[in-house]
Parts: sequence; structure tokens; C-alpha cells
Amino acid sequence: MAILLQLIASGVAVGMIYAAIAFGYQLTFATSKTLNFGQGEALALGALFGLTLVPFTGYWLMIPLVLVFGFALGAVVERLGVRPAVKIKSEYGWIMATIALGIIFKNVAENVWGRDDLKFPSPLPETAIQVAGVRILPMELLIVAGALLMMLAVEIFNRKSIWGKAVVATSNDIDAAGLMGINTQRVITLSYSISAMTAAFAGVLVAPVTLTGATMGAVLALKAFAVAIIGGLESGLGVIVGGLILGVAETLTGFYISTGYKDVPGLILLLVVLSIRPVGLFGKAVIKKV
Amino acid sequence: MRFTVGASALALACALALTPAWAADPIKIGLTGPYTGGSSSMGVSMRDGAKLAAAEINKAGGVLGRPIQLVERDDEAKNEVGAQVAQELISKEKVVATVGFINTGVALAAQRFYQEAEIPVFNNVATGTIITNQFKEPDYDANYVFRNSAYDVLQAGLMVDEALAQGHKKIAVLADSTNYGQLGREDIEKYLASKGVKPVAVEKFNIKDVDMTAQLLKAQQAGAEVILAYGIGPELAQISNGMAKLGWKVPMITSWPSSMQSFIDIAGANGNGVIMPQTFIEDQTLPKRKAFLENYYKTYGVTKIPTPVAGAQGYDSIFLLAAAIKQAGSTDGAKIRTALENLNEKVEGVVTTYDKPFTAKDHNAISRNMVVFGKVQDGKIVYAKPEDAKNAGIVRLKEKTSN
Repeated sequence: MAILLQLIASGVAVGMIYAAIAFGYQLTFATSKTLNFGQGEALALGALFGLTLVPFTGYWLMIPLVLVFGFALGAVVERLGVRPAVKIKSEYGWIMATIALGIIFKNVAENVWGRDDLKFPSPLPETAIQVAGVRILPMELLIVAGALLMMLAVEIFNRKSIWGKAVVATSNDIDAAGLMGINTQRVITLSYSISAMTAAFAGVLVAPVTLTGATMGAVLALKAFAVAIIGGLESGLGVIVGGLILGVAETLTGFYISTGYKDVPGLILLLVVLSIRPVGLFGKAVIKKV
Repeated sequence: MRFTVGASALALACALALTPAWAADPIKIGLTGPYTGGSSSMGVSMRDGAKLAAAEINKAGGVLGRPIQLVERDDEAKNEVGAQVAQELISKEKVVATVGFINTGVALAAQRFYQEAEIPVFNNVATGTIITNQFKEPDYDANYVFRNSAYDVLQAGLMVDEALAQGHKKIAVLADSTNYGQLGREDIEKYLASKGVKPVAVEKFNIKDVDMTAQLLKAQQAGAEVILAYGIGPELAQISNGMAKLGWKVPMITSWPSSMQSFIDIAGANGNGVIMPQTFIEDQTLPKRKAFLENYYKTYGVTKIPTPVAGAQGYDSIFLLAAAIKQAGSTDGAKIRTALENLNEKVEGVVTTYDKPFTAKDHNAISRNMVVFGKVQDGKIVYAKPEDAKNAGIVRLKEKTSN
């Protein structure tokens, strides 16, 4: 029993990492039906930028600066990669553009910070604490709490602020929102900024337990993409549930079946969800009229 | 076609006309490894060691009256880049030999070009057992692949013997999913089988894996008393950190890359006590080693070689090659190979003094008796065993019949 709980606890911690990144996919998809495929690189840039700041500011003061950095990064991605494609109503242009920007970001990061995996100093003690027979790192608790808090903050922003309401309106019906006088282009930029901001935040959140480097986001972003598909690209709750399912499935498979097949159930789940419920577990089925 | 013939005739004419001017031209030696990426601490240490050796040789007048020029190329630890680099070094740079390779996969992908071009290629870090057997007799007339690192079968055997010598019966094997890790795991399992021991758990992990809980819990539940881990620095460090998280402490014996700086940085205090096979420990007992270390620290402004084994083996590889070129009296590939296989001169390196390190059949300069166990201790690699530390000043010579 203790083993099962331990596996679930570790799975939840990993799953929340995935969810935090997947949340960023969901944000931009809701407003513009586009995704930033450079999300993993935004995460890595955020973490590396944070790593550079930490010696001067400490961990906690560094976070707001990283948020600002992520916000600006998202705006750049939207301007350079997404807006031109959306303007000419290209269905796929933004895919290539965001991937290309991601590659550029990765190369920039490699040139600035090198390609070694670096150690990110942990703000909390690195000795595990024991809760009901389960050993867990304080940092893992911080990841879970931080990710949930971040998602909550974005939800509150969307529901309460005028800008957030504009985001929701654009998500629901971009044409109607435009007719109502909402500057939908700005709203899309905003959603990209918030999306990259969450990625950068996720970067500094997970860096102390993963490794920090230009390629740290590659595997994580891919897994997060699977999470977003499983949970549903339009649902904030969906990515949390999807993340937890994937994270726990990985550790349980690793233990009860084989560590060689750790990644398999997640992919099977992805295929099953795609074939049975293509919009994801929590997605809304929309009929597209042509 | 006619154009090609004409062009090559012209090139030949030019070459002949220019020959006198080449007399003092440098001898070009390729130097390839990952200078960026996850295994760069090994690559950079190897490169910097090799550069020191070349500088020393050139200061003493070079080889055959010509200076050595190292042509550095980054293979990024990628097989396809390694193959491209090999072709560039052979066809464009016209190197007389190449030293390097950190990654077994890259070595296997790249060295066939040297074999085809009949140019000696010298593995100074990569450990895959298959590397020196890829072009072995009798399938090939001559094998152009040499090595001065401790190959996997040696390391696997040492790791297993050490675990058994410590009295552990229940052994867990953890290996990464790359060529390197899986070939090493095979060697460990084979050696264990020859000792009549079956590992209680054999687990796999991926490069960049964040969480090792499942692997470690399986080993723990199987009652493992010791962990044998085959992988490179960052992931080995994640295993150490994972064990600390689970509050489970058993001895950990790893393949040599836990001596990488990245292991030391990432594992921190959790890495203390991890032991691994090493051909070289940073100690200043012998004058040659002292001079090498002092020179390395001074030249690169460091207090420690990032990966000491790679630095030392990189340094030695250039001296071995230089001795062979000198003996061959030429830069012809086949002649250098023959000279390497029958090296008359004793070459004093920092790992050992090489006395006939290679024969036609044996292309591995390192034998089992030359490998000691190193231990991570407060950010440094030290001798794991007091008797090795005591005998540090004795050069461990190659046992002729061992490979």
C-alpha cells in the first residue's frame, strides 16, 4: 500500500509538471485555435533566464521577473509566428512558424547558456519529508501548489477582469466578439503572452527537480501536448486531469509492468481518446459548419 | 568524366609542384567529440587534454620535423553529425589520423569512413566493447580502429566483481535506453550469468527522465543490496537524488561517467560514496601526472579537470599517435597502423606507461589491472580503496594476455 501511495505521489508530481505546460497550449487554442509549438522552448528560456537571475535576486524575487520575461516572449511569438498566418487565413502556417521560432529560441539558449545540463538551486530543503508513509520532496509539493495557483490565477483573471472577459468572449465566438467591438487581435496577443508566461513560470518551478538546459523542454512539452489532447484542448480542468492520468500511469506502469514500457500507456491512452472522443475527455464537441 | 580526369591531373600536378613547400607543413590530426551537449564535459576535457599534448610535442620540435596541427570538430554526440565530420576530416582536411569519440554510437557511425580510407582512428574515451571489434580480422584484412579507454566488458566485470566482493548477493541493474546503456547492461548481465548470479531487478530509464521512483522502488522491493547503474552523468545523478528522496541507501556502483562534472553538480551531497571504474584519478604522485595536472589547471584556469579520465586519455592518445608516426617515418595510414601494432618506443603517458600497447589482434591499450575504482567525495573523485591510494605512485602496466 505504501508503495502504491508512493508511486501515485510521484506520478502526481510529474503529472502536474505536464499539466502546467499543457495549460499554456489550452490558453492560446481557446482564443485563436492555434498553438505555440515552441512551448517547450519557452519553458527552457524561462528556466535559464531565472537561473541567471537567481544569484542576484534569490528564488522568490526572481519569479515576477521571469513572468514579465515570459509575457514579452509570448507577444513576440504571436507577432512573428501567428499573426501573419492568421491574417491570411492560413490553416497551417502558424504550425511551421511556431516550430521554427522554437528552434531559434533553442539555438539562442544554447549559445547564451551552453548545452550542458545545469543544476538549478532549490529554494526549499532537498531532503524528503514523510507524509503517511510517502516520501516526497518539498519542491514537489511546491510544484503542485504553484501549478494549481497559477491556473487558478489565470481562471480568476478570465472571469473577473475586463480583459479576461474579452478573452472568454473571443474564445466563445471570435467573429461575434469582433462585432461587439473587442479588439480580437489584441486578445490573441494577450493569450499568447499569458501562455508563454505560464510556460516560463512552469520552467522555474520544475527546474530544481529536473535539469536546466536548452533542451529541457523538449520531452516535457511533447508529453504536455499528449496531456492537452487527452484532457481536451479547450478545458483548463481537462489538462489537470489529463496530466494526473498520464503522470500516474507512467509511474504505475514503470513499477507494475516494466520500466521499459513506461511511456507506452500514455500513448495508448492518447490513441484511445482520439478515436473515441477526439475533443478530449473534457472538451466540448463543436460542430463545424462549412 | 573527362573533366574529372583533367581536374585530378591538374590537382596532382599542383600537388607535385607544391610538395617542397609542404616539407614543414603541419601533420593534421582530427580531433572530434561532443564539445556541446549533455556529454560535453567529457568531450571538452578530452579535447583540452589532447591540445596540451600537441602543444608539448610541438614545443619539443614536433614529429618528423613537422608540427602537429589538431583539426577540431564538434560531433554534438549525434551519430549523423559524427559521420559528416568523419567525411569532412578525411576528404577535405586530409587528416593523417583522428583521435576522439566520446559516444559509442557516434564512433560506430563514423569510424567506417576511416576504415575505408585506411586512416587510423583512435578512440580515447568511447567504451562500447564492439568499437574495436567492428572491423576485426578475419572479416577485414586490417583493423584501423584503436582505443585507449577501458571498454565496457572490463568495466562491467569490475563493477560486478566489486559488488560480489562487497558481499552483495542481490544485485539490481539500472541502465539508460541508449546504445551505450543497453550494451553495458548486456555486458553486466553476461558477466553476472558467468558468475551464476541473476540480478533481482533489471530496469531501464530514458535520457532526461525526471523521476526514477518506479525504477528504484522496483529494485528496493526486489530486495536489492547494491545498484549497478550504466548511464551518463545527469541521469546517474537523478538516480542518486531519487534514492535520497526515497530514503533508501544502498551502495551504488556505476559505469565511469559518474566522474563527470554534471554528476557532481546535480547529485551534490547525494552523490557522495558512489564508486565507478576509472583509469585516471587526479593525484599528483608521479612527476608526469603532476606536470600534466598543473599544466592543465594553469592553461584552462580551472582547479579540477571536468572529467579527469577523458582529459588524461585524450592527452595520452596524442602521444601514442605521435610515437607511431615517428616510428612509421611517414604519414601513410597503413604505415602508422603497422607502427601502432608494433610500437617499439615506450610511451610515458599519464594513465600508464605504454609498452607495446597494441598488437595486430589486440587494439585495446587498457587492460583490466589498469583500472581502479574512484569514489565521489565532496565534489572530487578520489581513490575508492586505500590500497589503490597507497599504490598511486606505481604505474599499472598492461598485462599482455588479458585482452
